[in-house]
Parts: sequence; structure tokens; C-alpha cells
Amino acid sequence: MINFQEVTKIYGSQDPVLDQVSFAIDQGSFAYLVGPTGSGKTTIFRLIISDLTPTEGKITIGDWDLSKLPKSRVSDLRRKVGVVFQDLKLLSDRTVYENVILPLEFLGITDEARRRVEEILSEVALSGKEDKFPAQLSGGERQRVAIARALVFDPEVILADEPTGNLDTKTSVQIVELLKNINKKGTTVFMATHNDVLIDKDVDRVIVLSQGKIVEDRNSSHKKHREEEKDKKEEKVEKKEDEQPKSSGKIKLESLAQK
Amino acid sequence: MVGTVAKYIRRSPYQALSAVAIMTLTFFTITVFSILTIISIRFISYFESRPQLTVFFKDAADRSEISKLEKSLEDTGKTSSITYVSKEEALKIYKQQNKSDPILLDLVTSDILPASIEVQANQAQDLANLATIVKSSDLVEEVVFQKDIVDTLVSWTNAVRRVGIAVIVILVTVSTLIIITIIGIKITVRREEIETMRLLGASNWFIRAPFILEGAFYGFIGSVFGGLAAVGIFYYFSPSLEAFLRGVAIFPLSPLILGELIITEVFIACILGMFASYMAVLRYLK
Repeated sequence: MINFQEVTKIYGSQDPVLDQVSFAIDQGSFAYLVGPTGSGKTTIFRLIISDLTPTEGKITIGDWDLSKLPKSRVSDLRRKVGVVFQDLKLLSDRTVYENVILPLEFLGITDEARRRVEEILSEVALSGKEDKFPAQLSGGERQRVAIARALVFDPEVILADEPTGNLDTKTSVQIVELLKNINKKGTTVFMATHNDVLIDKDVDRVIVLSQGKIVEDRNSSHKKHREEEKDKKEEKVEKKEDEQPKSSGKIKLESLAQK
Repeated sequence: MVGTVAKYIRRSPYQALSAVAIMTLTFFTITVFSILTIISIRFISYFESRPQLTVFFKDAADRSEISKLEKSLEDTGKTSSITYVSKEEALKIYKQQNKSDPILLDLVTSDILPASIEVQANQAQDLANLATIVKSSDLVEEVVFQKDIVDTLVSWTNAVRRVGIAVIVILVTVSTLIIITIIGIKITVRREEIETMRLLGASNWFIRAPFILEGAFYGFIGSVFGGLAAVGIFYYFSPSLEAFLRGVAIFPLSPLILGELIITEVFIACILGMFASYMAVLRYLK
């Protein structure tokens, strides 16, 4: 779904913000992008939505090769990728309803829009808050408005850039749960965080960034596979041990005693 | 889209007022000069349709002597028509022209009005030749050369038109610059909102269109206000003008012509507003 091949990003004459970064995220998976502030997480998200262009390397999103994407089609790409921005980017003079319906206005959807917005607001537990302005909401609610806005045009991917940044632990967990529920419905979720505590052990993928480089790429499917292989080996060993004459066990015990 | 435009205008009413005011002033001026141009064209064509040479005779000249002079003019083959106006006919014309002013009518009798002939030439360049013939006659009191009047009128109206065009060019330029500035300020104020819309997938057209429509709105309102104000003032002063230009067939100006003028101006104003906004969008929304 998202494929980075040796992507480097350099701003001006500074050191690379991203240095030869390569990874691939499968469709429908949930992936974490972990790293301290300034490690390049937001740059990766900005590259995905073509807000920046890579200095080197190739990025593909589904069938879209971003290096060949004309400027006129960037808006089409951004309608396929929902983004929850680090600073949320909610429009302060618009209500919750107006903020969430905004992406549908770009497409000229009118009749269906209200029903869709109501559905999404109910999904993120914001029903009844339609007429509130962002300033009238709590941090968690504002975060959910941003998620609702990212979800409203049914994107294939959700990029969540530090969606729990300024929230307390309880609310942060709720937001992560909400993103997981979205992922369970088939949407690929790619979430950046600097908070290791939030990372679920069951999650598909964890990419760890440091100073613009991937220092760790944990794939739970590989991990599970390795664990299964290990279990199988252990079972075989146990079986062999059961088949061995008692004398051999004795030897073992002796050898252990010698040790 | 219209709702967005209305919101943009509501949020900065003084900027909107400035834009509408300058557009109103511009199109008021354009309407005034357009009406003056229509009047001047009618004025000139009226004089052009009048006899090209009017020959006034002394009281002593009798009809037979005048007929001889007419004959000598006809013999040149350069005249297309010659019309004799007797003292009595001149009085009738005078009475017709001043029927609303009894004091003027009481003071004038046919004795003090001269007999005359109105001469139309086949070609304009023959007029000087015909004038020489009539001036040489002892019967002639005065020769009025219509071409002189028309030439003077044309040079006057051309001068007025040149001043009008200069004023209009200045006002249109100022209007364009003011709308560019106002839309530019609005774009700058909304930079964050525009950036968010772009990141969420809004097309360029979706972002630009409200600003361009806003420019068209200023043009529309300004031209309607300016045009109607100028036409209203014109109709208010029409009776006085009509009395002043007595006998010259300029009035009434058809409301249809003025309606067409305003519709054309509204169209031009909308294009001007949209053009100015588009310039602002190109400048501030790269």
C-alpha cells in the first residue's frame, strides 16, 4: 500500500532529515512509526501526501508513483489518504459539522454528505456536538473531530501524526482504540508517536526512526512466524527426548551435574 | 460556493464596502461619460442632418431676386436641394420652437425674421464654392456654414471624450488595484485555512473560485449602483437639459438604450472584478 524505496529528504544544505529510508506497509495493516521529536516522522507523512517531494528515492501509494504524479492530481491523492495532523488543523471558525463535512464539499457531495457526517460523528462518539466550535471541545474531542474529518471521504489509508500528543493516558488509549476499530474495518492505519507506552504488542508493524534512519522494523507476522517455528522445534526436541533411552537421560543429568 | 462568498464578505464588511464604493464610482463615471457620448453623437448627427448652408437675406430682397440666386446655385449642378423659407414660415418655425414661452412669442413678428434658403450640397467639398457664390450677392445678409458648427462640436466632444477616457482608464486601474489588494488581504488572512483545505485534498478551483466570485460580486454591485445613480441623475436633469437644448432633437433618450448600457456595464464590471481577483489569486495563491 505504502512503499518507500531508499527515500532521502534534505532541506536546503542541511543534513538529511530522512536518509535512505525504505519500508513497505501492507494494505489493511496497522503500523506505528516511532521515534523522538525531529526524527523525521512528520516528513514521512508529508511525503506520503505529496506535500513534500523526496530529494532521492521512490514513493508509491497503491498504484500511484508519486514521482510521476502531476500537480493537478495531488488533490486526488489527498482524497485517498486521510490525515490526522499533529496540530489537528481544525478550522476554528467552523463548527464540528462544518469541519467534518469540508472534504465532502471539495467533491461537491451535498445530499449524501449530511448522512455521512452524522454516521462518522456517531462512529467517533461525537453525536450531539455537531454545532460546537473546536474551542468548545476537550482535547480528546478535538482529536476525534480530526479523525472524523480524515475518515469522512472513506480513505484507503489514515495517517495519524502524533494523535495523542497532548492527551492524558486514558484519552490517548481511547484514541488508539478508535484507530484500531477503524483499522478492523479495512482501512490501513499508519500512526506516528513518540510514546512507546501506547504501542500495542499485537499490532502488525512498528518502524522505529532515529535521526532520519530506520533503526528497527518489527513485523509481528514475522515475529509470530518465528515464534511458531521455535515452538515447532521445541516440540520436536521434546518428542526426541521422549524417544531416547533412559540411559541417555542419565547422561544428560550427569553432564548437567558436571556443568 | 455562494455561501462561502457571502461568509467572506460578511467577515470583512469594510473591505467589501471599499471595493463596492470604488466600483460604484468607476461605473458612475463610465455611465455619465457614456450618456454624454450618446448625447454628443445625437447632437452632431442633428447638425449634420441640417442644411449645410443657410443663407439669410436682407429685408429688401424680394422673392423673384431670391429665385434668381437659387437658379444660379442650381445651375452649378453641385446642389442636391434648395429650400426657401419665407419670413412667415420662419415665424411659424419660431413659434413652434418657443410654444411654451409666451413672452418670447409676443415680442416677435415676421418682420424681424429674415427669409432664407437652406442649401444641401452633393459633396461637402462643393460647399465653399457655393458659399462664395451667395456671398457675392447684395441680397445676402449672412451665410451660416453648418460645417463650421459641426466641426466645432466634433472638436469639443472629442476633447470631452478624451478627458472621459482618461478619467475612466485611471478609475478602472485604481479599481483593479484596490480589488487586487482587498482580495490579497483576504487570502493572506485565510492562508492557514487555505493550506488546510489544500492538505485535505481541495482542488485549486475549489480554493480560488470563492475569491474570483467575490470580485465578480463587487463588480456587479458597484456597476448596478453606479449605473442606476448616473441614470437617475440624468433623468432628474433631463427636463432642464431639454429646455436648454431647445429645438435640437436629442431627447428623450430611450430607457431601452440606458437599460442596455447598464447591462453591458454590469457584464464588463463582473469581468473586471473577476480579472482583478484572478490577478490577486495568482499573486497570493501560488
